[in-house]
Amino acid sequence: MSLALARAGLLLFVVLLWELLWIRGLPAYILGPFEILKHFFAALGSTELYGNIGASLMRSVPGFAIGAVLGSALGLAAGVSRVLDRMLSPMIFLSYPVPKIVMLPLFMLWFGIGDISKILIIALACFYPTFINAYYGAKSTPKILVWSALNLGASPWRVFCRVVVPSALPLIFAGLRVSLALSYIVMFAAEMINADSGLGHLIRVAESGLRFDLMYVSLLSIAILGYLSDSLLRVTRTRLLTWQELDA
Amino acid sequence: MSRLVPFVLIGAALAGWEIMARSGLWSPLLFPSLANIGYEFAQFFSRTDRLLEAWTSLHRALGGFALAAMTGVVIGMLMGRSAFVAGLLDPLFSGTYAVPKLALFPIFIFAFGIGSLSKVALVFLECLYPIVIITCHGARGVDRVLLWSAQNMGAPRGEILRRVVVPATVPFIFAGFRVALPVALIVVIMTEMVSSADGLGYQVIYALASLKTDRMLALVVVIALLGWLLDKALVVMRDRLVYWEKLETYYV
Repeated sequence: MSLALARAGLLLFVVLLWELLWIRGLPAYILGPFEILKHFFAALGSTELYGNIGASLMRSVPGFAIGAVLGSALGLAAGVSRVLDRMLSPMIFLSYPVPKIVMLPLFMLWFGIGDISKILIIALACFYPTFINAYYGAKSTPKILVWSALNLGASPWRVFCRVVVPSALPLIFAGLRVSLALSYIVMFAAEMINADSGLGHLIRVAESGLRFDLMYVSLLSIAILGYLSDSLLRVTRTRLLTWQELDA
Repeated sequence: MSRLVPFVLIGAALAGWEIMARSGLWSPLLFPSLANIGYEFAQFFSRTDRLLEAWTSLHRALGGFALAAMTGVVIGMLMGRSAFVAGLLDPLFSGTYAVPKLALFPIFIFAFGIGSLSKVALVFLECLYPIVIITCHGARGVDRVLLWSAQNMGAPRGEILRRVVVPATVPFIFAGFRVALPVALIVVIMTEMVSSADGLGYQVIYALASLKTDRMLALVVVIALLGWLLDKALVVMRDRLVYWEKLETYYV
């Protein structure tokens, strides 16, 4: 109870301090919290914002889907099969610390300046965390479970579906969560570098036009978008992993 | 023979690239040959002005990372060991975790200028999250039996923190660093690509704009090498400091 009070108090304190400072006079690029909300709700009434959100989602969702599906499939496969492990893992672990966004200019040359290059770069960025987590999830399956399943006469495919995948799922979800955050970062960066629509484009236009209200609207939309999709992922995880206790 | 298996796919990819480059089906602008990339790569290391660009990027990344490491470890420890601090800050960190902090960059440019400071601030912000979350997770999970026995033997609180909690958390702190360090490099390269006049990210965009694909790819190799070296350095440091626990082979 006292904790909830402390939380609410802190939030109220920050917002009030911010608002008061803003009334006292902050630099023009910082708007007050209520001012931001006012602009945001005003923008919600126009179609421009929805168009940009739609354009952004048309890039980040397919990119995330491709990267997540490929990453978890290949990661599980590499975690189970020794041949695949020895062929794929060195290349992937070696290129893991490389910032994938540097490939964007090259992708732009190969696949054009449109959406395909952006979707592919998002897919590439999302692939790595999912792959690594699925790989370790499959690798860390308790041997005893696999042995007992085999001993009870399960076929290897059945063992994979009923033992390896469920035991890897918690780690896969951890990877998906990282990938999801990454997909928005890369989407935003790609749109800031070149695009003619989307939230990243909107914030660049606002920046060069000194439209600070638009900047905060774009910022708030991407924040809400990120928060909502993260919550969606967490709800899915609690639904799917009913047997696992959650601590965070 | 079996030692060569890991290199099969890499070798095949390189050979495939060279064949595509030499086939003449695509313009060398799209697929420059490995020889040209190698030439530009050697050029990079023989010219001090280009090495200075790498240094600019590196010091931005490491500066932001170091700030985030110091702040993040303290916040993470506090959140892990105090239920009150955790309750207060946890909604903040888990709520804004999936929000791309990069969106703040335009505002940072107005606040901190277009130079290094806005980039360092953004690197700090992006690196803070993984370090805080993983450190908190580690500090919370310290074996209770260890804490009880230390208390039972009469260790004061400061001593317990220094001799039990910190050593038990250090592996997690390094795990957080390991997630955050590539993030630092990513953010620096991204912000330099978006708005900058120096650094490796800017050089990549510049090479693209001048249609020097081979130079751009050489720069990509340099950035990749830098990311890999930073990670290796961190692993070496970790193995020195956390000598009592072997690192499970998370990377090769």
